[in-house]
Amino acid sequence: MDISETKDFPVSSKSLREIREFSREVISKSSILEESKDELILAIAEAAQNIVKHAYKDNQDTTDKMQIKISFNSNKLEIGFFDKGKPVIEENIKHRSLDDIKPGGLGTYFIQQIMDEVVFKESTGWHNNLVLTKKY
Amino acid sequence: MTYKITRDGDISTIYLTGEIDMDVTEKAKEFIMPVIEEKKEVHLNLKDVEYMDSSGISVLIESHQKAMELGTRVVLKEISKSVLKVIMMAKLEQILILE
Repeated sequence: MDISETKDFPVSSKSLREIREFSREVISKSSILEESKDELILAIAEAAQNIVKHAYKDNQDTTDKMQIKISFNSNKLEIGFFDKGKPVIEENIKHRSLDDIKPGGLGTYFIQQIMDEVVFKESTGWHNNLVLTKKY
Repeated sequence: MTYKITRDGDISTIYLTGEIDMDVTEKAKEFIMPVIEEKKEVHLNLKDVEYMDSSGISVLIESHQKAMELGTRVVLKEISKSVLKVIMMAKLEQILILE
């Protein structure tokens, strides 16, 4: 079953619950995805959280929206995140060493553990387009 | 997220319920840290925590480190399956105190 669903959310930590609900709803449409639902929800929520926390670090009162697109075709899951926050410098994105025990810095690590590929792409009309993919 | 705190002798137990994400971490720290500052052993009961992300994990690390600084400890009790998965993904099962 092919899936392609898109939804906009206000850029705010208050949207995270709604993002998880949307993601759960979409993922539950595929029995293949359903098996790794918890991990996928975590990856999606962490990526959305990074937009709020980093791309809008200096603009927490924004009225901007972010867009999330979840597609599943030919056993390939692709999750796109679109935002108009501060452009991400990909080289600067790194998770902390797991041996350096301190709060923070784990979200990106979780995303990389869960997904096969994590890339930023060009997207007209948006400042950042993060794409997470996983093959089944 | 909701919480309940009980005190029994030298142990304070904080029962957390619901989803712990970036939106509630400041609130969580506001009630967890003062309990740790009482310098009693603190049990964080996670039986009814349905979801925890990296922000929630940060609260667990911060609580653990604060307790160590004060010569006490935070013990994670009855950890739900979904939270345990995230703790293990972060390779924290040997660092945090799990019972």
